[in-house]
Amino acid sequence: MALNQLHFEFAPATPRAFPVAAVHYGVVGSGDMEVIIEACALAGKTQVTVTTPVTGFDHVWQLVLGRFIDESQLADAHISINDNNATPVVVSLRLRQALLEIGE
Amino acid sequence: MSTWHTLQERSFLESSARQRAIGLVDAGSFSELVGPLERFVSPHLPILGEAIEFDDGIVTGVGLLGKHPAIVISQEGRFIGGSVGEVGGAKMVGALKLALSIFESLQQGSAAEAEARRPIVLISFETGGVRLHEANAGLLAHAEVMDLLQDLRRKVPVVALIGSKIGCFGGMGFIAAATDVIVMSEFSRLGLTGPEVIEQEMGRNEFDASDRALVFRTTGGKHKFIMGDCNFLVGDTLADFRRQAQHVAQMSMIEIEGMRRIGSRGAVERQMKLVAFAADLRPRDSTDMWKALGNKEPQQLIAASEEEFQKIAVRWNA
Repeated sequence: MALNQLHFEFAPATPRAFPVAAVHYGVVGSGDMEVIIEACALAGKTQVTVTTPVTGFDHVWQLVLGRFIDESQLADAHISINDNNATPVVVSLRLRQALLEIGE
Repeated sequence: MSTWHTLQERSFLESSARQRAIGLVDAGSFSELVGPLERFVSPHLPILGEAIEFDDGIVTGVGLLGKHPAIVISQEGRFIGGSVGEVGGAKMVGALKLALSIFESLQQGSAAEAEARRPIVLISFETGGVRLHEANAGLLAHAEVMDLLQDLRRKVPVVALIGSKIGCFGGMGFIAAATDVIVMSEFSRLGLTGPEVIEQEMGRNEFDASDRALVFRTTGGKHKFIMGDCNFLVGDTLADFRRQAQHVAQMSMIEIEGMRRIGSRGAVERQMKLVAFAADLRPRDSTDMWKALGNKEPQQLIAASEEEFQKIAVRWNA
């Protein structure tokens, strides 16, 4: 019944450090999510924590988040996501919009 | 990226709680308090397996309206219907206490300065009231907010700004009623028992919640303006709401006290007169009421733009 926390770690090939201290984007509406991306010294890696009521989709999260890191090469950052049943497309969109907020 | 200037022409109805909070005060003046980075989340929702939000669905902060510090509370309807739980409620209470302490510290200085810098509270409601998952804490927050509204009375104007999708219902409908000034757009709704709940309890013959025209005729901004439940009807941009807030910030406390719809013997007597008037009339629809108040063609009012409506609508005047 309790909320699930999922943890992921990625090591982008050509690390690009996150240029600001932190950015927040999104609203946890039904089928939506919010994200905080924070700069964090992780030796070129990026960690992601997902808090979600959904179970059984860990592999899909791995793929969607992995693709976002591949595209952005985001490194030395911690990503926190509060999810409420967002589809993979919405997750990708919100992550990209969060980067747009800081003009990346 | 949402800058202050692009926010100004944005639809209030479609804006998020944070966009409203930023856009309601002067450019670049908004500082958020207990923002999402603080991660002050509900302690109750995780136990129930319900999604959480970093700001618990309420944005609080301080900005400026000219020289006036503006304490902003803005509710996010997309997160569990803008419901008020323990954390969001505490944030509301904290913001109101801050308004009172700013007022009190200004009293230490010159009277002219205290008047010129008198704080103002702006509450952008988008809520159905108590969050049922944490009902006791949510109810307690309602009571504390109500208490603080009394403490702030005649000192700091509290303005309800209602123009968001969910409107303002449930316990927060009471809170809005207890503020000094209510500003609405024609797309907003205000009430105690929401349309769906009335239908559920009393049946579809009593109230058909799927009839949007009926819902807006009964709870919408235009009806509330005619009945005197809302003081100002404005357009649907953030700039429209901000200008109205600015206007209130410059009014005298005596004028502002005169805007209250409840809270004095005179106000209660006026409300009782309206109840007696409605009881005698036995209206079948809100348009019957509009007609009885002197609006000859109610249908014309429904179709009228906000500007036109302001010119022709006859309001209840006890």
